[in-house]
Amino acid sequence: MSTPSTRISTDTWAIVLSLALALIVRIGLLKVVPW
Amino acid sequence: MATPATSLPDLRTEYPPHAPGRVPAERSTLLGLLPGIALLAVVGYAGKFVEHFINTYGKAHHYVLPNIEYVLWAILFGILIANTVGLPRIFRAGVATYEFWLKAGIILLGARFILGDILKLGGISLTLVFIAFAFSLTFMTWLGRTFKLGPQLTTLLAVGSSVCGVSAIIATQGAIDADEEDSSTAIAAILALGAISLFTFPLIGHALHMSDRAYGLWAGLAVDNTAEATAAGALYSDAAGKFAVLAKTCRNALIGFVVLGYAIQWARKGLASRAATKQLDNKAAFLWKKFPKFVLGFLFISLLATLGSSTNPTIAALGFTKPQLVALGNLSRWAFLLTFAGVGLRTNLKDLFKQGARPFVVGALGEIAIAAVTLLLVLGASHFYHL
Repeated sequence: MSTPSTRISTDTWAIVLSLALALIVRIGLLKVVPW
Repeated sequence: MATPATSLPDLRTEYPPHAPGRVPAERSTLLGLLPGIALLAVVGYAGKFVEHFINTYGKAHHYVLPNIEYVLWAILFGILIANTVGLPRIFRAGVATYEFWLKAGIILLGARFILGDILKLGGISLTLVFIAFAFSLTFMTWLGRTFKLGPQLTTLLAVGSSVCGVSAIIATQGAIDADEEDSSTAIAAILALGAISLFTFPLIGHALHMSDRAYGLWAGLAVDNTAEATAAGALYSDAAGKFAVLAKTCRNALIGFVVLGYAIQWARKGLASRAATKQLDNKAAFLWKKFPKFVLGFLFISLLATLGSSTNPTIAALGFTKPQLVALGNLSRWAFLLTFAGVGLRTNLKDLFKQGARPFVVGALGEIAIAAVTLLLVLGASHFYHL
């Protein structure tokens, strides 16, 4: 029987990081290096 | 003692190695990921530096030099490193995070779309996706039978070329109980063809003088793996890259339905294992499990971008301002830069040619037909919708 995976997917990590970055940009704490 | 999996952020790709015999990167700590991520940044930035250098040199010396996007340089540098000196062990776990940066880049790209655009272009993309789907599933299945490939491998190739490459193959592998070798072969074929499309699609697009929207839509509909589709779009132009991601995201969103369809078909024929059949008890849960969740993040950021553009100041205050959208768009570009470096660094030319001729020929014939059909569809759609 296979054990259920407890691993958090890359999708979840990508969403968490992106939303955190968006929030930091929104409150003006992050100045992004221009492209 | 091994650290429990949940305590570590695991940013590696969820997919197995792209070719038979490749050993996946080991689970690593955040610190262990840093060398590889730094390498992605160096290779990606080297690509950007070379693009800038060539442009500046051409202007300063009044030469007309071709404008080659940084994407191509980053991929070429990556391929060069991976296939000459090889990728030292210390970098492997970090380089495998390129899929994570791709998803983060797509979510942040939501800042460059308002929902109206997504609905319009997404609607057109979805319609074309359905037509292309029907064609590629039928054609690839026929090709697989003609070339006497096993039913599992044929199914995996059909799904990989019609839906979204590697992730669709992995999702289907579990549903139809295909073995590891079939999925490795299908993945190798899809990735080899993706690499070829990186060099051919922009040339065809330029030859046909396609608009950024039309080309982006075509790349998103025809190139199978999300990283390669994004790169093929960005190789044409920044705007084309944006539209390629949108079209590809529409395709990705459908992955659950296609896998479910195949799972039901295999279970009905009695070919699936009990475990695979049991998954079908709750179809909604099955669809949710296979749904690429990062699409929701993309839509959410786009919703905030749309709110910010509202003429009603109360609603606009909920969303992002223009400078914030520019900052998020730039963050998305930086994330893609890491992805493109990863595409090159994980391409092992030897592995790509080790897979055997028949799956590659079936894949190649299928891909050429799919690229031609989607090109005609996009050209037709751009005639009606002025893309």
